Amino acid sequence: MTETKYLGKTIRSKEGPRHVSGRGQFTDDFTLPGMLHGIVLRSTYPHARILKVDAQEALEVPGVVAVVTPDVVKQKTRPFKPGRYAAGLRKPVTEYATAIDKVRYLGEPIAMLAAQSRSIAEDALELISVEYEPLPTVMDSREAMESSAPLLFEELGSNVAWKGGVSYGDVEEAFQSADRLVRESLKTHRYSSTPLEPLGCLASFDAVSHQLDVWCNGQNPEVVYDALSEALSLEDYRVVIPDIGGGFGQKIHLIRKYIVLTSLMALQTGRPVKWIEDRSEHMLAAGQSCGMEFDVEAAIKEDGTVLGLSIQEIDDVGGSVSTLTIHFTNKLNNLFSTYKVKSLRLEGQAVVTNKCPVVPNRGIGKPSMCFIWERIMDRIAEELGMSPADVRLVNLVQPDEFPYQAPNGNVYDSGDYPELLKRALKNVEFEKVKAGQTKARKEGRYIGVGVVVGLEPGGRNAARDMAIFPDAKEMPGAGGVEGATLKLERNGTITVVLGAPSCGQFHETTTSQVVAEALGVSPEQINVVSSWDSRLSPWGVGSSNTGNNFHLYDIGAVHGASLQLREKILKLASHILSTVPEELTIEGDLVSSKESADQNVTLKRLGKLAYGNQSYIPEDVEGGLETTYYYKFPHAEPFMLPDKQGRVRAQFTFSAAAHAAVVEVDIETGRTQVVRYVIVSDNGTIINPGVVDGQIYGSVAHGISVALGEGFVYDSEGQLLTLTLTDCSKASTMEIPEVEIEHYQVPSPFSALGQKAAGEGAAIPSPAALASAIEDALHPFGVKPRDLPFSSEAIWGLLNP
Amino acid sequence: MKQLVCVTINGQRYREEVDPRMLLSFFLREQVGLTGTHIGCIVGECGACSVLLEGQLVKSCLVLAVRVHEKEIVTVEGLATEGTLHPIQEAFVEHYALQCGYCTSGMVLAGHHLLTKNPNASEKEIRQGLAGNLCMCTGYTQIIKAVTAAGKEYKKG
Repeated sequence: MTETKYLGKTIRSKEGPRHVSGRGQFTDDFTLPGMLHGIVLRSTYPHARILKVDAQEALEVPGVVAVVTPDVVKQKTRPFKPGRYAAGLRKPVTEYATAIDKVRYLGEPIAMLAAQSRSIAEDALELISVEYEPLPTVMDSREAMESSAPLLFEELGSNVAWKGGVSYGDVEEAFQSADRLVRESLKTHRYSSTPLEPLGCLASFDAVSHQLDVWCNGQNPEVVYDALSEALSLEDYRVVIPDIGGGFGQKIHLIRKYIVLTSLMALQTGRPVKWIEDRSEHMLAAGQSCGMEFDVEAAIKEDGTVLGLSIQEIDDVGGSVSTLTIHFTNKLNNLFSTYKVKSLRLEGQAVVTNKCPVVPNRGIGKPSMCFIWERIMDRIAEELGMSPADVRLVNLVQPDEFPYQAPNGNVYDSGDYPELLKRALKNVEFEKVKAGQTKARKEGRYIGVGVVVGLEPGGRNAARDMAIFPDAKEMPGAGGVEGATLKLERNGTITVVLGAPSCGQFHETTTSQVVAEALGVSPEQINVVSSWDSRLSPWGVGSSNTGNNFHLYDIGAVHGASLQLREKILKLASHILSTVPEELTIEGDLVSSKESADQNVTLKRLGKLAYGNQSYIPEDVEGGLETTYYYKFPHAEPFMLPDKQGRVRAQFTFSAAAHAAVVEVDIETGRTQVVRYVIVSDNGTIINPGVVDGQIYGSVAHGISVALGEGFVYDSEGQLLTLTLTDCSKASTMEIPEVEIEHYQVPSPFSALGQKAAGEGAAIPSPAALASAIEDALHPFGVKPRDLPFSSEAIWGLLNP
Repeated sequence: MKQLVCVTINGQRYREEVDPRMLLSFFLREQVGLTGTHIGCIVGECGACSVLLEGQLVKSCLVLAVRVHEKEIVTVEGLATEGTLHPIQEAFVEHYALQCGYCTSGMVLAGHHLLTKNPNASEKEIRQGLAGNLCMCTGYTQIIKAVTAAGKEYKKG
C-alpha cells in the first residue's frame, strides 16, 4: 500500500467539537418568526372506520389557528404514488398523508392541529372528536391469511397483499441430487433502531411567491422531494436537511406523511409550522421492522456441501401497503450470503395486519437472510455430526474466486471469508472456551460459543426490485449517481458540499480526509457543509443516507471532485509561476515547484486571484476555482439492470465479517449474558478507523439488544404494550458487552480507494451469532433457538416446555 | 398565570416569566435558547436532556421550570471555557464517543458528573454511572473509553 498522510488515520473529527458543546443544529433547533406548533391526532383504535371528525370545539380554543382534518387532506392533497416498496401491489391502494375513511393501526395519523404553543396544541387536540366504528382486529399474519379474517383493504379482497418469489440456479435438480434434506422453521420479530431524535419537520410557505421551504430530518432526500410534489402539486420548493439525530432507516419512508401534513398546514395558515414527534408517537407509528416467518429446506451432500436452499417466507407488514415488499426484496442483497451455493428459491407473501407499518431498519431483510443461512448451517452441522465451523468452511466462497458472481447477479468484489472465520475462532479462543464449557457444566453453569459469518453489502442499486417486479412501472433509476462540489475559497480554504445528508456517521470528517489526501492540503483547511439543501447539494439517486451508500457514492464523488479541483489549482498556479502543472505540487497551503520549493504561491493568493483579478486568469481557464463532479459507479455492469433470469446486482460492494459470541445462560431464569464478543471485519480500505469502529460497535450493539429481547409487543386486541424505550428493552451501558474488533482489510478493486461499506454491518450476523452460542450453551437440554428474540422469558420457555 | 423564575444558567443570571407547567427542558430550549439540551423521550428514560442542577445530574424533562427558582444550572453549553473544550468534551471528541450528537449533551454531562464525584471510577462504575443515558448509535464502547480516559484529567484536578 502506498504511504498515506490522512487516509487510514483516526484524525480529529469535524463534527465532534460542535456536538460535545451542544452546537449541533437539529430540526427542532430551528425557529421562525410567527411559527406555529403542529401536533398530530392519532387513531386510538387499531382498526376502525372514521365516521366523523369534528374539530369545531378545538378551533374555539384561544391560540389554536387551524386543524387539518381528513376532509381537508383529501381536498387539498393528492395520494402518494405507490413507490418501489409497493411495486408488487395487485391493485392500486390510495394512501394519503392521513387516514381518510378508515384507520388500520394504532396511532395512524388522522389530523393535525396547529396552535401558538405546543402546550395549547396538546390541550386542544383532546377536543377534536372522532366518531369511530370499531372493526375486528387481526394481529397475527397466519390468522390474517385466513379467508374469514377481517379485511384491512377491501379493495384487495385478501390480507395477502403480495405473493411472489425468485429462483436462481436449478433448485429441483439440487433437491433431487441431494444426499439429505435439512429443514428448519425460523421467526424474526418486530423492533426498531428508535433514533434518539424523533421525526420532525418545519415548513414555511410564502403565498406570494408560492415557495415552500421545508426543514426536516428525512434520511432520503428523494423520498421527501417526491412526496412534496406528488401530494402538494407544488412547483417551487426547497428541502433542507440539517443534522439528523440518528436514522438507521427509520427516517426514510413514513416521515413523508408528516412532512406533507406539516407543509399542508403551513399552506393553510400562511405561517411557519413546526411538528416534532414525541417518543410514544414514534413507538406507535414511526415504523417497525417486519415480523417474518421462514420455512427453510436445504439440499445437502454428506460432506456438508449445500446444493440448494428453498425458503418460504411470510411477512407481517402491518397496516399499510406502502412498504409491502421491502423486507423481501432486500434479501436479494445478501441472498447467497458468503456461500458458493448454486441454487436458491425464495417465495414470499406479504400480509397486512393491524400493526404499525414496517419500515427499513439497520439492514432491513439482511439480518433475517443471514439468520436463515447461519441457522441452517448449524442444523446441517448437527445433522452430519460436523463442527459448525467446518460446515461453513466447506461452503464459503474461496479467496481465489473473487470477483465472485453469485447466482442472483451480485458480484462480490473482494474478500477472504475462510480467513475471517479462522481468525474469529482464534481470537475467541474457541478450543479454550469449549474446554471451559465442559468444566462449567459440571458446576451447573452453561457456557456456549457461536461463530458465524455474514455479508455487509454496500452501494444501493435501485434497479434491484425490477428482478421481482418486471412489469412495474416508474421504477427509480439504476445504479447510483451522486455529486460533490469543491471550491477553493477566496481565503484559501476548501469548501466541500456533499450530495447526501448525514445521520451522524462523520461524513464531514471522512470526506475531508479524502479531499486532503487527494489535494495535498490538510483536513484543517477543509470545511464540509453540514446541512443538505435541495437547491445547493449536488444530489442524485445515490444521495441517500441509506443502503450503505456513503462509502461508494459520496467518497467516489469527493475523490473525483478533488482530482478535478487539483487540476484547476495547478493550472492557475502554473500560469502564475510560469511553469507547467506537472512541475507543481500542493502541500498544505502552498503550491510549489517540485524542483525549487521557493518558487511557490499560496492557496490564499490563488483564491484571491481566481475571484478577484481577471488579468491573472489564463484565457483558456474558466474563472473561479470550483468544480462539481458527479460520480457514477464505473463497474456497474454486468447486471446493473436485471436480465431475463432476474440476475441483478442488488448492491455493489461486499464487506464481510465473522462474529464469535461467548454466552452464559442462567437455566433458572433463562437469562443470557454475553461474556465475550469478537468480530473480525473486512470493510475494505479503511479511511478512518475511529469511524468504522464506531459503526461496528453501534450496529453490533443493536443486533445484540434485538437478539436478547428488545422489540415491540402487541396484545391480541392491537394495543402496543411497548410504548416507551424502557418497555421496548433498549440496551443501556449495563447490557452491551465490550466488543473486540480485528480489522482484516481486503480492498475492493471496484471503488475509488478500495473502500467497502461500514454501517449497518454488524447488526446483520449478530442475532445468528447469539442463536448459535445459546444453542451451544444449552446443548445438554436440546434447546434450539429458532424464534427471535431470545429473551429470558423465551429461553426459559424452551428450557421448560 | 405565569410565575417568575430567577435562575443562574452557565454563570449567567436569567429572570423569566414561565408557565407553571413548563418543563425545564422546554424552558432551556425555547425560552432561554439553549438548544444543546435535547429531548428524546420527555419521560426521563433517555437522558438526552440531562443538566446539572445545583451540581446534581437531573433529567430536565422531569423537573418543572418553576422548581429551579434561585437555583444554579449547568447545561452542555456551559462546560467549555473561552472556546476551550472541557477535558470530558475533549475526551469525547478524541475517542469518537459520539455519532449523531443527539444523546451527546446528556452523555457528556453524565460522564462529567460521575467523574467529578469519582475520578477513579472503574469500568463497571462508569457503566453504572451512564446507565441512565441511552445512545442508539455508538453501542457505548467508545463512550466508556472516553470517560475512562477523561478520568485521568479529573484526578489531576
